[in-house]
This record gives sequence, C-alpha cells and structure tokens, in this order.
Amino acid sequence: MIYRPWLPLITLAIVIGITPVQAAPPEQQRAEAEETARLLAKLLQAGRLVIEQNQTLIDDPHKGDKGFTPEVFERQMYEIFRQRTGIDLSAPATTTALAMPPLARTHLPALIDAGKEVVRDAQVVINQRGIGYKNFIPATFGSQTATRFSKRSQVRLKQTAIQPRNPKNEPDEYEASVLHWLSGRPNSDTYVSELTESGRTLRVMMPIYYQRACLVCHGEPKGEWDISGYPKEGAREGDLAGAISVKIPLQTE
Amino acid sequence: MAVSNRVPVLSRLLRMIGEGAGMTHGLPCLTAFFRHRWRPVSPVAALLLLLPLMQGCGLLFDAVHQIYPVTTNELDRICRRQQVQVGMAVEPFRPFVFPAVWTDEGARVTGLDTELVRAVSDALTIHCGAPVVPALHLVRFRDLFLLLNEGQLDFFVSAVAAGTPSSGRAGFAYSTPYFSQGGIGAIATRPEVIEQIQRRLRTDEGGTARERLLDGLTIAAQDSTSAHLYAEARMNAARVLVCDSLPAAFEHAAAGLSPPVDVIIGAHPVLDFMVKTTRRDWRLLARDDHTPLRFTQADYAVVMAEESYTLRWFINDVIFQLHESGRLEQMRRRWIDDAYAYPRRASAEGLPFDVQKMPAHYAQGTCRAASPH
Repeated sequence: MIYRPWLPLITLAIVIGITPVQAAPPEQQRAEAEETARLLAKLLQAGRLVIEQNQTLIDDPHKGDKGFTPEVFERQMYEIFRQRTGIDLSAPATTTALAMPPLARTHLPALIDAGKEVVRDAQVVINQRGIGYKNFIPATFGSQTATRFSKRSQVRLKQTAIQPRNPKNEPDEYEASVLHWLSGRPNSDTYVSELTESGRTLRVMMPIYYQRACLVCHGEPKGEWDISGYPKEGAREGDLAGAISVKIPLQTE
Repeated sequence: MAVSNRVPVLSRLLRMIGEGAGMTHGLPCLTAFFRHRWRPVSPVAALLLLLPLMQGCGLLFDAVHQIYPVTTNELDRICRRQQVQVGMAVEPFRPFVFPAVWTDEGARVTGLDTELVRAVSDALTIHCGAPVVPALHLVRFRDLFLLLNEGQLDFFVSAVAAGTPSSGRAGFAYSTPYFSQGGIGAIATRPEVIEQIQRRLRTDEGGTARERLLDGLTIAAQDSTSAHLYAEARMNAARVLVCDSLPAAFEHAAAGLSPPVDVIIGAHPVLDFMVKTTRRDWRLLARDDHTPLRFTQADYAVVMAEESYTLRWFINDVIFQLHESGRLEQMRRRWIDDAYAYPRRASAEGLPFDVQKMPAHYAQGTCRAASPH
C-alpha cells in the first residue's frame, strides 16, 4: 500500500472545514455563531467606512472615472477590517483559518462579494461627471450589501435604527428593544448577543455611532432637509445612529 | 428585414439540393453527402429529413418567428414580452429627468417623466392582464431618436418638444402633450448681458424679431435639443456653441473657456427649475413685467415610431385619463412647484434602468462651436 502522508492532513482539514455547526455542543455552536455574527457586522462596518472615506471622491463632479473599482474597495475594506479585528482577509485562507470559526470562513467571503458587487453596479452612478451628490453613501451601500448577502445566505444581515429613513430598515420588536437599551448607554464597542426563539436563533446587534462626517446629514439643525431630502435628526457626535443586526439560525436536535 | 435575408437562404438550400452536385460554394460536405449517398432521394424528401435540423440553423423556424409578430400590433408585442422598452436621456433635464442616483434599492432614476412612464406601464399591465415592467435605457439625448429608429425602443420621454421642425425629427410621432408651457427659454449670469438683452426687448415693441434678441452673443445649447435646432435655424447672427449637456454649458461658462458663454438656451421649465435650485447664480431672462421670455411655444410629448399607431392611441388615452383625473396637474405641481430633494423620491419611487446600456463613465461632455450655417 502506498503511504500518503498528506492524506490525514486533508481528512483533518475536511473535518475542520466541513463539520456542520450542529455537530458541535450547544455552547461551542453559539460561540461560533456569535463570533461569526460579530465579524460580519465588523466587516459591513468596514465597508461602510470605506465609502465614507471616499465620499469626497465619489461626489466629485469634476471627475468622470473615479477609479473607485470593486478591487480598490476590497483592498481598503480588508485594511480597515484588519485594523479593527486583527484578521487579514487578504492573506491565504490557511493563515486566517485559526482566527475565524468555520462558519465565518464561508460567510465573510460572501459578504465581501456582495459589497464588491454593489460597488460594481454603482459604477455607472459613481462615475458620472458633472453630477455631484450621487446618494452612494454608507447607508445606501450598507442596505444593498446586506440585502444581497441575506438573499444568498441563511444569515440575515440588516441595518436598523429607532427611526430609520428607509422603512425597510424598521426594527422588529427585538431590535427595537435593544436599540432603546443601547441608546441609554454610553458609546462603546460592546455588542448585544442573545439566543431567541427557544435557542433556535442567535441575534447579535452591533451599535453604530454618529461620527463627525455623519453630522452633515444627520446633525443640526434638526428637521432641516439634508442633501438627500430627509430631515436631519439633530444628532451629535457619539450619539447612537443605529445598529447592524445579525440573525443566525442555530441547528438544534 | 430579418425575413427577407433569411428566406433566400432557404430557397438557395432548396436549389442546391435540387441541383445535387452542381454546387461550387457553400456546404460542400452536405452536398457531397447527398451526391454519394442520397442521390435517389427526391429533393422534397431530403428537405423533409432536414427539417428537424433546421431549427437551430436560424432557417425555417426562425423565419416563422420573424413573420409572426409582423401580423400583430406593437401593444401585443409589449404584452407578450411583458416589458416595455423606454428610452430616457442620461443627461439631466430636471425636473423631468434627474441624474441617476444610488438608493437602498440600487441605481434609480426619477422625475416627472419617470412618473409618466410608471403610469403608462401600470396602464399596460391592466391592458395586458399581466405585469408589464418598463426597461429603461438611459442614453444620450441625441441617441434616443437613433435607438427608436432602430426599433430598440417602444417610446421615449425626456422633455421632448413635439413638432420641432427638423429633418432629424422626421419619421417620428408624438403623443398628445403631457406638459404645456414648454418652449425655449434663456438664462444668463453676467449683468451686462442681461441688461443688453432687456434693452433690446424694450425696443422690440411688436416682439416680431425674437430670434434677433441674441444677435452677436455667444449662445450655448444642448446638442440635438429643440433649442439647438432653433438656434441653428433662426439665430443666424449669434455664435452658437453646441454642448453635450446642459451641465457642460454651465461648466464651460464657469471655467471661463473661450468663447465665453453669454446665454444658455434650452427648455424653459428646465432652465427655470435650475436657476431656482442648483444654479442660483444664473437668471432666467424675462421681460420688464417679469413675464418669462420664450422663443418658442412647445408642449412636451411621448415620442414613438410613426407607424406605432396602436401604441400612440394607447398612450394618448393614458395621458387623457391622467389629465381628466387631475393627476397630470398633480404631477406637474409635485415636480415643478413643490419643494423636495430628488434622491429621496428616487429611493421611494425611482425606476431602475438597464445599467448595461448606460455609458460606463457618463460624462457631461464639453461644448464646441457649431458648424457654420
């Protein structure tokens, strides 16, 4: 018989990579799901931040082709994600395998693809010369990316707020209660994670806080229209803007 | 068209089979096959044997498909494909067509004309008894006529003035108007230019020499619009700059490029909207009594192919019903008089468009001197 030294390694890799969540004990399952949800929310936040950092370029009426391609977006998103989580998604999968649970290894690339797809589809809007504001902002990027990702996955990703501008982002009962709880607490990096539906679903809510750049549209004076036609919220820097809500079904016996 | 260039292929094939080995070009393997193996078989029998294979060759079956729609009208065709091909200008004609923006739902375009398109497709849905969705093609204004001519569009809208006399507009038909008080207006930004025109207006008692008001001035107009056609036909003593879009005319003026733009002419309601919203440094030219200065009177209509009689009746009926119900006036007020920001309306009611058809890097373009008369 021929000895194949790599065979046990491949078998181990397959077991690690493919072992379904349901095979793990409930605590481990929850931990994996929670970490995956946290990373998904962080990744969507990173994507939003890339858009925010490129807002001036995107809205430049004097430039046609902005060069803000899906690849450029991807590189910048990787960098922000790495700064915030310590995980380098541009590195080979083998090096990031230990830093992420198996569930995240399939879902994070799917979210990256959704984000790149949105940037790709928005090229015709972004690259218009002679048009300034194009409404390609973190919120509209995030909504489309979350929607596209959720359509292809069992994981539900959504941006929500107590009073969202987009009615589709209206919080459900659980999200509303968490948002109200978060709004009474100081700005922090903490997130909320809970099992719901008798332990069949894990819900994670990652708060988003207003930064200085957001206040152009969401700040004072309250009620005055911003550039996109919505009344400003009168928010101040550090106020709760909303949250990224992640809903992961858990496999139960 | 497609039928005429396919049927000869079929008849040629029949002739080839009939002639057997007498062929000098085309399908040598096929004739060789017939020559050696099937000589005793009659041409008709051979054709019958070949029939099942022809479907994929774009011969008989495709020909039948091509002939069939000709016997139906354009409304039936729209119903059958459950899609109406609509053209719109990629250059903004606010408030009729706003620039495309990104929304929570993706790229969208909005404006009075998109609301009209929605009303037409809603009516088509009722007529067809099945959902009919508008497939929007955002292309250069000047290309709209071309695409309609090529049969790629069922109709188009973009603040198009009906009845503009021009050879380039021959072969097109217009619906009944959905917007009145169109016509060509003018804007200027430099006080001395405004003063000069108003002085001329005061002396033009009968208003008979309207086109001579801008004599000696440099006028910018968007390519292929009725303003451009009017300037070419009537403003012989003015220097005309042809611009790819209205924003290009503004940019040319702002950049101080030579020759400097004295006046921009264009659709009066579009210019009026712009000086009230985004170009407050420009002034709409008016008489001393503040009545707007118009060079022409025009109504905006939906543009179709001349032979689209059924579709034209249908759209006329939709516009009539919108008018009768008061919705047309309501639309006019919503888009012309009300205060709003279009990105929000684009999010709520904008229409998606065919991204593939839109220029990848839409540029407002530039201005250049018109060719001499």
